[in-house]
Amino acid sequence: MLFTSFTFVLFFILVFLLYWFIFNRTYKLQNAFILAASCVFYAWWDWRFLLLLIATSALSYFLGLGMDKSKTEKQRRLLLSIGLLQGLGCLAFFKYFNFLVSSFNSLFSVFNIRPDLPTLNIMFPLGISFYTFRTLSYLLDIKSGKIRAASDWVAFFSYVSFFPCLISGPIDRPKTLIPQLEKQRVFDYGMAADGMRQILWGLFKKIVIADNCASFTNEIVNHYTTLPASALLFGAFLFTIQVYADFSGYSDMAIGLSSLLGFRVTRNFNTPFFAQNIAEFWRRWHISLTSWLTDYVFTPLAIYFRNYGKLGLIFAITINFTLIGLWHGANWTFILFGFLNGCYFIPLILQGGVNKQKKNTGSLKVFISTLGTFALVMFTFILFRADSLQQALGYYRRLFSVSLFSGFAITEKVNTITTIAAIALMFWVEWQQRDKQHALQINLTGRPVLRALIYLGLIFFILSFSATKNRDFIYFNF
Amino acid sequence: MKKPLNRFLIKVLLFALILTVFFETLFRLGFAPIVTNSTFFDQKMLAVQKQSIKNVKLLAMGSSVALYELNSKIIARHIELPYYNFASWGLQITDTKALLTSFVSRYHPRYVILCSSIGDFITPRNETYLNYVNACDFIKNDMPECFYFTNYNSVYQVVRRKLITYPIALDQWGGASLSIKEINKDKWNEHNIFPTRYTPGNYLALESLASFLKTQKVKLIFIQVPLKKSYANTHQSQRLLSWHFERCRSIVEAQGGTYLNYYNTAVFADNLFTDQYHLLNEGSIILTKEILRDLKGIVR
Repeated sequence: MLFTSFTFVLFFILVFLLYWFIFNRTYKLQNAFILAASCVFYAWWDWRFLLLLIATSALSYFLGLGMDKSKTEKQRRLLLSIGLLQGLGCLAFFKYFNFLVSSFNSLFSVFNIRPDLPTLNIMFPLGISFYTFRTLSYLLDIKSGKIRAASDWVAFFSYVSFFPCLISGPIDRPKTLIPQLEKQRVFDYGMAADGMRQILWGLFKKIVIADNCASFTNEIVNHYTTLPASALLFGAFLFTIQVYADFSGYSDMAIGLSSLLGFRVTRNFNTPFFAQNIAEFWRRWHISLTSWLTDYVFTPLAIYFRNYGKLGLIFAITINFTLIGLWHGANWTFILFGFLNGCYFIPLILQGGVNKQKKNTGSLKVFISTLGTFALVMFTFILFRADSLQQALGYYRRLFSVSLFSGFAITEKVNTITTIAAIALMFWVEWQQRDKQHALQINLTGRPVLRALIYLGLIFFILSFSATKNRDFIYFNF
Repeated sequence: MKKPLNRFLIKVLLFALILTVFFETLFRLGFAPIVTNSTFFDQKMLAVQKQSIKNVKLLAMGSSVALYELNSKIIARHIELPYYNFASWGLQITDTKALLTSFVSRYHPRYVILCSSIGDFITPRNETYLNYVNACDFIKNDMPECFYFTNYNSVYQVVRRKLITYPIALDQWGGASLSIKEINKDKWNEHNIFPTRYTPGNYLALESLASFLKTQKVKLIFIQVPLKKSYANTHQSQRLLSWHFERCRSIVEAQGGTYLNYYNTAVFADNLFTDQYHLLNEGSIILTKEILRDLKGIVR
């Protein structure tokens, strides 16, 4: 049930009406309904993995209660270890087992030893990376005393499996979402209308920009060995836009859907392509993941390495980003993607500019820094797209050749023009609205007709030029 | 809470209404939704919907050979059962099987005439026909506009499809006659390679189709249409053709169906063909008469 599918639209309309008209009497009733809807939503993909989701939630719930009640630090640490072992163990098994086995086999084959350990035919449970991080942050926050354990199991299960954010985040922290689940939601017109606008913008980014870009990038990546470098550059550019439009579009829809149900969910993207350096980029890109890793990985590492000065910080950041890369998938391309991003921080750390907040004044210097950051990100995203390191290296090798200055043929001219126009529109609107929570927060109070015309214009643009093929969201694979 | 909620719902409904009016207008202007990647099939199903076809006891099915080589007027004149020809360009046996499951449950025919040539056994199945097969009857019969949403395509694609669509002239029974002027000979006069790696899958589909019809108590009449003499002018191609005929015959007859073969280069001389497989109108009249003669005692 993709957010962009007709089935989901029908499902959500039903959920919305029942939620606000039938199950709105108490927050407990609302939570029970949210939980039931989330189970249906998840089971639609594969009901077998619903059991894993329920088991993970149940274990974390009881471990949380146990940690809350335990009197000694040793007991709390033990319970936390069980939770970490279960969460990370499941991730390791479902996501990384085959990768570890094949890497192990490859490593030994270098020394002419063939262990030939078998890989398993493991199905990947959707959203496991996202809901595992939710349960882990819940346990870690209880351990550090930031929150108390949830006493209402329905509220806790709803937090873990909250369907708008279940498959691809944002990864909400327990202190953000659980308190909202512990009180009754009342319909707020402004919030719901804003949610609709955010869904509309997300839809535009996903089905007009990301899905159209995908058809070009797939063609280019599949035939990169025969195409000129200029086409590969165009492909790298489009893929960077595709990932952003796909994931931020999904996040916008998730946040918008949550708003319609009366929840405020963590913002996941803040116009990352207007960042002036890589540190700023990562503060604006997939915010819920980077802040999660900052809190639970980077900060403890930075404290651990604090005696090593800037070198310690470099270690901490590089490890943190390598883990970000690994989180994205079990492939060396992702690990290198993360590691490289960590390395990009080194000049900033040496200059002491990691945490400097830069003002976006729109000057030429700012424009050049922004463009430079975009180029850096774009070249690294080639690794993100490649199926293997060999493919990535082949792509880079061909990209930096003399054919960079030659032209290339475009077959789908109308599609190309509309896709580029849509990208330009996205950049323009996001630049204009960069101080707002999302791009369609238009301040036109008192001019309802103009507002309606803008929304209708966008709706018709989406209807007219969206991609024919409805594609999965890229982050569903993570 | 009810007041702002109602206000919100009214506004959303207003937007939904504008969209509904837009799509309804698009539909009425002839920019039909894209259901499958066969422009012909989509047009034909729309014609079926407009004609409100409900009762079909003799159902013809197959690819373009079934469309052009069964002369509707002659069949309707000689057989008193309600008849309709659902054949469409390019259908493989795998596609025919998928579509027949839908047609049989909708029209409850007593007989299915499946006209076939070896061109129906050479390519993979077209998954887009499942968009039609899996849609609910309400959408197929009463509200084809819903396909705009269930099988979403951009308005640009819908308009583009309309502009590139080759207009078809179907008779009231869903058939069509072929005249030489309509044919782009270079495109049509291909000599397809047979068998291909998809041929076994199509035989399996024929087996499954025949067994399905048997369970539904529908009589299958499999008609091997004529081929141009030049199609099989070597010993090797003759041998292949005989092997194919025998394979189809055994599958059909094993499930209680009737197998009729009209491959006869003496009766169907080359001047009756437009290309390797398709008979001209004169040829289709001869073939239909021969079929009707053989069906006496089978179709009652």
